[in-house]
Amino acid sequence: MKAKSLFFLFLFLSFKVVAQENLLSLLNEKNETEYTSYIFKGTKIVNGQSVEITSKNELKFNIQHRFGPINSGFYNLYGLDYAQVRFSFDYGVNNWMAIGIGRSSVSKTLDGNIKIKLIRQAKGIKNFPLTVVVNSASYLNQYTVEDRKKSSFLFTDQLIYSHQILIARKVNRDFSVQVSPTFIHYNLIDNSSRQSNDNISIGIGCRYKLSNRVSVNAETFPQVYNSMNDNVLSLGFDIETGGHVFQLHLSNSPAMIEPIFITETVSNFFNGNIYFGFNISRVFTIKN
Amino acid sequence: MARQIISIFLIIFCFKTNAQNFVGKEGIITFFSEAPIENIQAVNKKVGAVYNASTSELVFSVKIEDFIFPKKLMQEHFNENYLESDIYPKSTFIGNVVELKENGYAKVKGKLNIHGVTNSITAEGILNINKSNVVIKAKFSLKLEDYNIDIPKIVIYNIAEVIDVDVEIQLDKYEG
Repeated sequence: MKAKSLFFLFLFLSFKVVAQENLLSLLNEKNETEYTSYIFKGTKIVNGQSVEITSKNELKFNIQHRFGPINSGFYNLYGLDYAQVRFSFDYGVNNWMAIGIGRSSVSKTLDGNIKIKLIRQAKGIKNFPLTVVVNSASYLNQYTVEDRKKSSFLFTDQLIYSHQILIARKVNRDFSVQVSPTFIHYNLIDNSSRQSNDNISIGIGCRYKLSNRVSVNAETFPQVYNSMNDNVLSLGFDIETGGHVFQLHLSNSPAMIEPIFITETVSNFFNGNIYFGFNISRVFTIKN
Repeated sequence: MARQIISIFLIIFCFKTNAQNFVGKEGIITFFSEAPIENIQAVNKKVGAVYNASTSELVFSVKIEDFIFPKKLMQEHFNENYLESDIYPKSTFIGNVVELKENGYAKVKGKLNIHGVTNSITAEGILNINKSNVVIKAKFSLKLEDYNIDIPKIVIYNIAEVIDVDVEIQLDKYEG
């Protein structure tokens, strides 16, 4: 008898549990698409652009620093005596487009870029394995005042262009990988230097999350057409400290703009010609 | 014999639940964190809840990614670092209304699951049962450490240890 009543008690209890789970099942939405977010922490992997774009209505101010070569010895405090800087602003126009402007100190180059998100990695009704973004940038490599006075001077001679297709996939919560086919065009090249007008490179980058707040990133841009210089190889750490992302880099190029670090890298990473650098960014919300 | 009893029981039970359920999917949960350096507020307007008027059972289901923050970076940190919404995409509450007065005062007791951790909680609020709908309003507080949510020391002045939660939802009679 006791066993029987116990049986019914359990039966009743099980109904109760089922009933409450049924209540939850009334809320289940079957037709959903889950978009993959936060493939990379920043809008750049190390030096090159990542598939992340600045959020809508947000203005991001970046200060980028690159010191001199680490193997320049104690006399130069391992490169820390030198520094070049790039200031830039990025603004999220809407959810799929961001624009940016910047200026680099060493080559006196002004640059502007536009990034457009074409498709997002998703699963559910819409299923797509990759996030694809296009990035187009123009660079104005300013000539000196004397050079501009020459009769042969053409404004367009100062222009450089780079166009990229950024294709990324978040493989799992820690690991993301990106392939970035890049085309770079110089309007005018210096015949005495190791440059060519058209350059093609297939960039590869990845990030691995060491913890929720620290990730390690790596990036290289092998040149596949008209290669005249070394290929850039960069390692970076992204460290989050509340409101900021602090990025530390090691790279064999001190440049911070695509044409220069992809095609004009002259030092070899494995010979110790490595430059230390960091980025700090601050985000301002323009309107809610 | 036993089979008949069970089937009758099942049938009755089915009718009973179907007839008495109120469902809402557009509830609003707002939470506030008041800390010395900054106040943080986030809102989720896609809160789901079901109330069974005959059994007094009440459940809530909230998608963590649907919380909207004024700053996108905060939202990213909330999802990526604190709530880990890729691992724990939803927060649920499964409980009962244990006290309901005529003026609408209600006391709810149940199990709240956030960030993979389940705790028993009690909340007081208002539960108005109308002919075709039920309106629920409640306020309660949560301690972050109860849900295994770590705040690094460096942002301890930016994020409160106790979060105030504000719930508001209208549930409509569920047909079918």
